[in-house]
Amino acid sequence: MAKWDGRGLPPVATDRMARFARSGLRTSLLTVPGAAGVQSVGLDPVGEVMGCIVEHIGWSGFAGCGYLGGIPGLGGFNLGGFSGYGLGGPTVTSSGSRGFVGFGPYVDALYHGYGTALGRMIEEAVAMDADGVVGVRLSVSQLGNSNREFVALGTAVRARSQHRPSQLFTTDLAGQDVAKLLHAGWAPYAVVYGISVAIRHDDWATQRQASWGAGNTEVAGYTELVWHVRADARHCFEQRVRAAGAEGAIVSSMGLAISEIEPSEGHRDHVAEATVFGTALVRFHEDSAAPTRSLTMLPLR
Amino acid sequence: MTADPTALGIPEDAMRRLAEMRPGQATSLFTSDLSVNEFLLVREAGFRPLGLVLGSSIYHVGFQMGRWSSNQELTTLSQAMYHARELAMTRMETEADQLGADGIVGVRLDIEFKEFGSDLAEFIAVGTAVSAEQPQTPDGEPWRNNQGQPFTSDLSGQDFWTLIQAGYAPLGMVMGTCVYHIAHQRFWQAMGNIGQNVELPQFTEALYDARELAMSRMQAEAERLAAEGIVGVQLLSLGHRWGGHTTEFFAIGTAVRPLRADHVIAKPQLVLPLTDS
Repeated sequence: MAKWDGRGLPPVATDRMARFARSGLRTSLLTVPGAAGVQSVGLDPVGEVMGCIVEHIGWSGFAGCGYLGGIPGLGGFNLGGFSGYGLGGPTVTSSGSRGFVGFGPYVDALYHGYGTALGRMIEEAVAMDADGVVGVRLSVSQLGNSNREFVALGTAVRARSQHRPSQLFTTDLAGQDVAKLLHAGWAPYAVVYGISVAIRHDDWATQRQASWGAGNTEVAGYTELVWHVRADARHCFEQRVRAAGAEGAIVSSMGLAISEIEPSEGHRDHVAEATVFGTALVRFHEDSAAPTRSLTMLPLR
Repeated sequence: MTADPTALGIPEDAMRRLAEMRPGQATSLFTSDLSVNEFLLVREAGFRPLGLVLGSSIYHVGFQMGRWSSNQELTTLSQAMYHARELAMTRMETEADQLGADGIVGVRLDIEFKEFGSDLAEFIAVGTAVSAEQPQTPDGEPWRNNQGQPFTSDLSGQDFWTLIQAGYAPLGMVMGTCVYHIAHQRFWQAMGNIGQNVELPQFTEALYDARELAMSRMQAEAERLAAEGIVGVQLLSLGHRWGGHTTEFFAIGTAVRPLRADHVIAKPQLVLPLTDS
């Protein structure tokens, strides 16, 4: 096997593209209703496309004690909408990480992973002369030793039209949903995601509120941590949608995971990772008379 | 979808629009947590999604023991479960208020007990803030409820559409909770029931009591909103982490008020779907 330098597509994928061009065999990951759906709006499935990357994430950033970020004005991201907590709280998000603490490099690695997987998938679709990829599934699996595999899978489609999009559209919506959107005058534009990781020092108030005898009380520190990390992930998501020039986005999933780290003997901090995935949309029938109609019906099942 | 897509400019117009995409151009942007079906139906009901809104609270739930042999409400736990949910809901409403929303649809209210601390749970409320295309309801009232807050509704986009069609407006999500300790049977009582099919009146009564408390609290909230009724009520028994004899009874629904006198909707057509789901 020839050695591959990581640029472009691996040789097997290139071979597969060449084979596809010769045989013209169509493959598709769509369900039957999904395939019928995209065809009803003039998009023909041309083939299954895939992109993947295995990445070693060995450097997360200075994941030291979150306290260092708590110096007012240094860390912390504020949505501006939360009356209870002001700026400069001891939560450090990856967007606001500087110098001593924060998970900036780790989050960059995640973005790079998803981005490369999607990019390689799109490269395959381009090689098939497609106009878009529908039903994109993004997944990550842990391979051990801090190695992760990022995979993007989808079905490339070609439009029965004179115009070609300036760049391939991608969407994680199913075929049926793409059909309904197009009928309503909306076109999917791109898969968008926002990721944020934040760390917060467990100060004495937090420790007291979370202790066994605390009674009924909100643990303000943890609430602030999840609030900031979600706000940051949503903000990144929105910025990316906006930067793409899209007019809206449908969020398909939002995730949150919290873990405990022990930066020093007998002391624990908490790290939260938030993700937002979705599809950016653009409107192509500006008049409000987009042909949507609802049919009141009762399914017999 | 009977119309010919090509005649409507699909996919031609869509591809032309995608060809004109310029990254960085200024647009009015919305985000939404709705599915495509819900998104389209909410728009058809006369509302525009403004953005995803979210409120959350990580809460330390206190500790209270029920007496071994008595049926009783564990008020400390009831208060915790209610207060934490209310914090999450209020924060979500504050976000919607800042977007200038008339309401929030498709609200999900979840509880997740966390692994890293005992008795710690995250209470989270997520929904999509919407604004109405008509600033007032057909009867000339504002869409917001009598507390001046955006209306909230846990109904799906489909149910929301049907509700508006039928001439009702949602006012707000109403809820009531009661954490109840159900007495253990005394030894001789349990021995006496061995091998018999009998009702355990003490248990029956406990469950009646607990549900009644949860439902009456929910109703009191609806009365405060001057609602005509509550739709989509769910009455849940949630065990959480308190063992077999302590259960949370949680009632939640959407309070509604009428928009007009008649509530007739189009007669549905019967269809035979070719899919299972």
